[in-house]
Amino acid sequence: MQVHLTLFGQLADITGRTEMILHDIPDTETLIKTLNEMFPSLANAKYAMALNKKVIKENTILTGDNNIALLPPFSGG
Amino acid sequence: MLERKPKNIFSQGAIPATFIAESIQKHSSQTAIGGHSIFLGQVRADDTENGKVRAIEFTAFEDMAIEKMHLIREDIFAKYPLTCMHVHHSLGEVAAGEICLFVFTSSAHRKAAMDACNETVERLKAELPVWGREIMEDNSHQWKVNK
Repeated sequence: MQVHLTLFGQLADITGRTEMILHDIPDTETLIKTLNEMFPSLANAKYAMALNKKVIKENTILTGDNNIALLPPFSGG
Repeated sequence: MLERKPKNIFSQGAIPATFIAESIQKHSSQTAIGGHSIFLGQVRADDTENGKVRAIEFTAFEDMAIEKMHLIREDIFAKYPLTCMHVHHSLGEVAAGEICLFVFTSSAHRKAAMDACNETVERLKAELPVWGREIMEDNSHQWKVNK
């Protein structure tokens, strides 16, 4: 499955990217593993994951449209 | 009850005091209102180990934040007898001393407006995907942490 990934806040600093397209990602666990291999410093970063704007907490099988955002701890207001 | 649609809460730069004043003035025709509560978030010139904060640059996952703010608004309206609620949050750079958050609730009696305002501020700080990057006087930066 193809994943359209968006990175926010310090995660964009860590990876040097704000957006990425990744291929052959069957589920979110594979996505995390793939990202940690690409960007070892991401493994220690704290973030939540949103699939199509909804936060997901468990491994999720990816089908269809996969807009995934990595959200570091919020600091608005 | 009227169905409310998600509203854009974001605007570029600091929230001017004149905007806040005009927003208050606009409510003078709504004479069922007996109390307003307003929270204003101001950028603080913190002294940190990396220097003194000159400004905060805000970014957001705007679509998600607007949807989330809509859900918070629905919850708050279901919980408190509010007449209206307005929320404005800055994006981009806001200098120390300027306003970056404006939450404005109104009700017939003060308590609903005050409690709703407080709860809305707490919830949006915890739940909206917004990030603040503190820019120091030497233009280095660090990511803000909400307390």
